[in-house]
Amino acid sequence: MLDRRDFIKAQAVAAAAAAGGISLPAAAQSSMVAGEDTALKWSKAPCRFCGTGCGVMVATKDNRVVATHGDMQAEVNRGLNCVKGYFLSKIMYGQDRLTQPLLRMRDGKYHKDGEFQPVSWDRAFDEMASQWKRVLKAKGPDAVGMFGSGQWTIWEGYAASKLMRAGFRTNNLDPNARHCMASAAVAFIRTFGMDEPMGCYDDFEHADAFVLWGSNMAEMHPILWTRITDRRLAHSHVKVAVLSTFEHRSFELADIPMIFEPGTDLAILNYIANHIIQTNRVNREFVEKHCNFRLGQKDIGYGLRPESVLEVRAANAKDPADSKPIDFDAFAKFVSTYTLDYTAELTKVPKERLLALAEMYADPKTKVMSLWTMGFNQHVRGVWVNHMVYNIHLLTGKISEPGNSPFSLTGQPSACGTAREVGTFSHRLPADMQVANPTHRAHTEEAWKLPKGLLPAKIGYHAVQQDRMLKDGKLNAYWIMVNNNLQAAPNSANETYPGYRNPENFIVVSDAYPTVTASAADLILPAAMWVEKEGAYGNAERRTHFWHQLVTAPGEARSDLWQLMEFSKRFTTDEVWPGEVLDANPSYRGKTLFDVLFRNGNVDRFPLSELNAEYANDESKDFGFYVQKGLFEEYAGFGRGHGHDLAPFDTYHQVRGLRWPVVDGKETRWRYREGLDPFVKPGEDVRFYGNPDGKANIFAFPYEPPAEEPDKDFDLWLVTGRVLEHWHSGSMTMRVPELYKAMPMALVFMHPDDAKSRGLRRGSEVKVVSRRGEMQTRVETRGRNKPPRGVVFVPWFDSARLINKCTLDATDPISKQSDFKKCAVKIVAV
Amino acid sequence: MKARIPVSVRRAWQTIARPSRTLSLGFLTLGGFLAGVFFWGGFNTALEATNTEAFCISCHEMQSNVYEEMKQTIHFTNRSGVRATCPDCHVPHEWTDKIARKMQASKEVWGKIFGTIDTRDKFVAMRRELAEHEWARLKSNNSLECRNCHSADSMDITKQGARAARIHEQYLFSGERTCIDCHKGIAHRLPDMQGVPPGWSEASDNPQKPIGHWLASTGGNDGMNGGVALPAPAPR
Amino acid sequence: MRPHHLAALAVLPFLVPAVLSAQNAEPRRLDSPFRPPVNFVEQITPPPIPPDVTDDRRVARNYPEQPPVIPHNVRDYQITLNNNQCLTCHSRRFTEAVQAPMVSITHYVDRDGQTLGAVAPRRYFCMQCHVPQTTAQPIVPNTFTDLDTLVSRPSDRGDRR
Repeated sequence: MLDRRDFIKAQAVAAAAAAGGISLPAAAQSSMVAGEDTALKWSKAPCRFCGTGCGVMVATKDNRVVATHGDMQAEVNRGLNCVKGYFLSKIMYGQDRLTQPLLRMRDGKYHKDGEFQPVSWDRAFDEMASQWKRVLKAKGPDAVGMFGSGQWTIWEGYAASKLMRAGFRTNNLDPNARHCMASAAVAFIRTFGMDEPMGCYDDFEHADAFVLWGSNMAEMHPILWTRITDRRLAHSHVKVAVLSTFEHRSFELADIPMIFEPGTDLAILNYIANHIIQTNRVNREFVEKHCNFRLGQKDIGYGLRPESVLEVRAANAKDPADSKPIDFDAFAKFVSTYTLDYTAELTKVPKERLLALAEMYADPKTKVMSLWTMGFNQHVRGVWVNHMVYNIHLLTGKISEPGNSPFSLTGQPSACGTAREVGTFSHRLPADMQVANPTHRAHTEEAWKLPKGLLPAKIGYHAVQQDRMLKDGKLNAYWIMVNNNLQAAPNSANETYPGYRNPENFIVVSDAYPTVTASAADLILPAAMWVEKEGAYGNAERRTHFWHQLVTAPGEARSDLWQLMEFSKRFTTDEVWPGEVLDANPSYRGKTLFDVLFRNGNVDRFPLSELNAEYANDESKDFGFYVQKGLFEEYAGFGRGHGHDLAPFDTYHQVRGLRWPVVDGKETRWRYREGLDPFVKPGEDVRFYGNPDGKANIFAFPYEPPAEEPDKDFDLWLVTGRVLEHWHSGSMTMRVPELYKAMPMALVFMHPDDAKSRGLRRGSEVKVVSRRGEMQTRVETRGRNKPPRGVVFVPWFDSARLINKCTLDATDPISKQSDFKKCAVKIVAV
Repeated sequence: MKARIPVSVRRAWQTIARPSRTLSLGFLTLGGFLAGVFFWGGFNTALEATNTEAFCISCHEMQSNVYEEMKQTIHFTNRSGVRATCPDCHVPHEWTDKIARKMQASKEVWGKIFGTIDTRDKFVAMRRELAEHEWARLKSNNSLECRNCHSADSMDITKQGARAARIHEQYLFSGERTCIDCHKGIAHRLPDMQGVPPGWSEASDNPQKPIGHWLASTGGNDGMNGGVALPAPAPR
Repeated sequence: MRPHHLAALAVLPFLVPAVLSAQNAEPRRLDSPFRPPVNFVEQITPPPIPPDVTDDRRVARNYPEQPPVIPHNVRDYQITLNNNQCLTCHSRRFTEAVQAPMVSITHYVDRDGQTLGAVAPRRYFCMQCHVPQTTAQPIVPNTFTDLDTLVSRPSDRGDRR
């Protein structure tokens, strides 16, 4: 007989045994009803994925994220998330998180062909700094570079810009946003003199018609799609037009579906302009008061290597951005050749649909919202096509008011906030300033408390050029942060990979997960991600949104901000700045880059006592001051008073984001219109104040064909893109089991007749082959994407099947953004 | 009266009416039989030729609308490779029904000649009407064409999902519903389904009392019932 | 009951989790950190397209706010301007006949927080949040831990090494 005492003893023994092992008692009641144990700490954050910028609420318990949901108070999404957003809780917990630096080593030393081995941060930075110093000494600042991201937080991008431009004195800094919305950004500046949309998401609730120009919002911006769906289904007069080169999920809501021949959207836009003019629906008063007309350069090439035959043959490949003033009549004459007959013939779109679309814009009573993303931007004439959509909004005066809105969507969570506003492009400085402008550089030197004349004037290498220069051995020390460029870059097997593995080069990749890009690096640095650090993103509607650090990063993973600042400690001004600058400014001698960039009296201005005691802040604790606040306030100084006004730092931790310019505590929803924008004076009505004369530019451009078209050898158009379930190359989403199982591999979507005529069927193992490379996958003939005959679609999220080995590294010659939507391939059975 | 009949007609009638002077009765009977076989055969062959998918999709209206849509569906590709062709579902197998359907089809020929649905948009605008014809036909013949392949007797519901099995037992085997009541839009895209309840709803027997749409109408107006939305009318 | 039986029973609550977690012990660290083993140059033979899970068995959510995944076949389901096939089973009025779960009340709330008489139009496209699952097995395990598991054991303070 075992008595009660024995029973307790037995239990104690078992408990001791279990404690020695891994197991734990299931003694605590699981939470059938909420008790003290199950109390959660809920905090706000923006979503980690796309440029929509949804607000989410994040629940933490014991230093782990345990739940997430759509933030009811976030104006963007009001409680909704898409499937990716709902699974944010799991993105940090992929089992292969990088937790310590990994260096390629052989015999205890760094070796380009060595195996990855764990090293300390000190060892990692020692090697990295010595490589940087070697390259700087041998070749100077032009041979070091950095590839950043629209996923950087605002202060990370800002710190990177300071380190590269002021520290290493090079503008070889570009974000992966170059692949994403450079064409949009360039066209904004050329049209309005200022970047980013004049309208905002509130336009969704005001418009009568929505036109999707090369954007599959149903999958890529699902929450904005819910706002369009809401508007369309609840108001029967509302119409939706969807334009694409293949049928996708957004067509499910389309009143006017249009499949056009790749690249001919240029002609459709000129036809609409012509239709507006021919039917006498130009808003004459608006155009006379607020618009200039310009004739753009034509035959501008395709941004390929200069020796390419397409570049040699192009008449104006050298100065593609040139233009000259014309008048309205000349513009009208220019577009007059884009008749309905010509356009229908070229685009293969039925006339009645072209006409219906043109009428949406021409009818003065219909408020139109035009929306676009990669179909427009990843286009060898991406800048033109962006200009052309502004043309039709300007001709009709349908702009800068609720519901009338040409709206450029963004792909990355901070493409606007970090890449564009902070200015992490190779030609940009904060607040729309340009590195080539001496006044802008001088202003920046002053704001950064740097010696005069320190900042380099030469425009740095853009994304595609960086890859080419790595391959050619001109760029030798290279740091890649928060992006997966070996998976994302075009023509990667010929133009990207060789540069990473070039023995002259030292490649560093900072990431949270071991990506394809990391696998081709020499040094991998483990990064903290999302709510493992305090951050800020800026979404597509100019909304700046903050979050606190909510959990600790695993192992030795550190934020990009910490990495950038810590690395700057390894260089002194004497090592990297020119002697004459130091001779003229001796007080800067002997200091580290950390001292001059981050301990400059601005960035280190806010003590740790200003931190919110409820939240951790690992970087600030390390550096001894409130790093994020100091960086943000120094940065915000660039835009305040100039139409880029940001609110005080602490405000953003209280609100669900604010849309700049924020003046007297109030955000601005529509810019350039009196009464809505504080920068437009009474009596001015509309003023595009980014340009000195207050007018917007309407540009005349022709239709020009894509860089490569199908022929008898490579007989299909290849269009690449994304899917609902995966974002950012799948590096996070492929590690969430539910998202992985929903869409586990990249298939080639093709028309069943195209498959049949090649002896293929759904599930057939095939190679997608271009002149540049090949990729192996299987055929899909049904499902969400239905390409017409002659077109195939392949998504690029799958690290095991890299479609960018096939794509062409042609870019828009003005914006330098690559065209991932148009090249020629063939499909062959394996 | 007589005078009004033209001479030629009268002559022809006389020729036919007058008994044969040169041909034997045997020849006439046999010849008549053979001619009958020949003409009947020709008619039937021609009729059957119109009952092939190739004939159906020789019109671009069929080829680029309904046929193109069917390629995505389970009646076109599936595990066993047994597939339905247009006439399997849309042409009755019984001779009298077939002829009746063929006579109806003369209206479709008319439509073809006058281009009633010669663009995608015209077809989409007509989709509800066209679908309703087929739903009504299948409803009235108890989904005969479905049952030519899918016999209720041969259905092994233990091989079906639990939910499908239960519903088939409750509605199909009891004769309460017929296939088309629940399985609309299985081979083509659906028209605007406003007011068309699913087969398993209590309202489906009673089309006079259409149930409300299952989506909220928040605008205070007609919500989803705008019909198949069409492009804006041509400009003035 | 014999004493040693009772003793065994007493040990059971500790032993079972111990055995289970021993089975779930960290998989061996592979020689390379890359999953799938990445080699930019080599082509990987693509696996067959995996079929959808259609067993109609509910899958537990990771947290209550997670949209449930779709456990049944959705091939050829049409959700368009014309029709929403999901709602022909999952809307309130049809759930009894087909025994499908009703869409939750959250789906009746519009953007302004008003509860409507039927599903709010902004929730129309079901598959933006609810996705089917294939039988593909994830290459990388995920160590997310749900709240119930977390509160039933001492914390590791987020240290996942």
